[in-house]
Amino acid sequence: MIEYVMMVAAIVIAFLSLVPKDLLKAVIIGTGIQGIALAFVYQRLLAPDVALTQAIIASTVMPVLFALVVYKTERYEK
Amino acid sequence: MMQVMSFLTAAALLIIGLWAVVYKDNLIKKVMGLTFITDAVNLTLITMGYNEGGIVPIRLPGTELVVFSEKAAFALPQALVLTNIVIGVATISLILGLCIKIHNEKKTLSSRRIWTDER
Repeated sequence: MIEYVMMVAAIVIAFLSLVPKDLLKAVIIGTGIQGIALAFVYQRLLAPDVALTQAIIASTVMPVLFALVVYKTERYEK
Repeated sequence: MMQVMSFLTAAALLIIGLWAVVYKDNLIKKVMGLTFITDAVNLTLITMGYNEGGIVPIRLPGTELVVFSEKAAFALPQALVLTNIVIGVATISLILGLCIKIHNEKKTLSSRRIWTDER
């Protein structure tokens, strides 16, 4: 049952992350939380190794990279 | 059932990613659309190897080889996707570095204003 919830959550969060003007908020929602939801789906699709890699990459590496770029450039979309 | 829903999820992520790449103005949101397209491709490949009512492709001691070979999920797409996730992070970091160079040069991240002087 949790896999269907996480599939819907991945789609909805991917759409909602493109809305806000604050780029830091958009980046953390869109790469962090969406990737964690997909990691749950991978676990239920019988691929635990892919789920582990996706959880690590999506929860730490990608938000830090994007947040570093937002820090180096500009925070609010004009 | 689960396979169909998973393919539909991948299709929706692909559509959202393409929409973001084409119609969003900010460069960082375009890059986020690229990550959504990457996730859609990965999810499609993993779903192709899924086996309804099967087991994970790790042979635990005590499992018969015949039972394992007919119930386990297909392991080749999982190895390919594991490589693709890591390569995706490297590619995205290169694109983000180019975004920083564009901002240093043009003082903007909006794709409309890169080639014009309006602020």
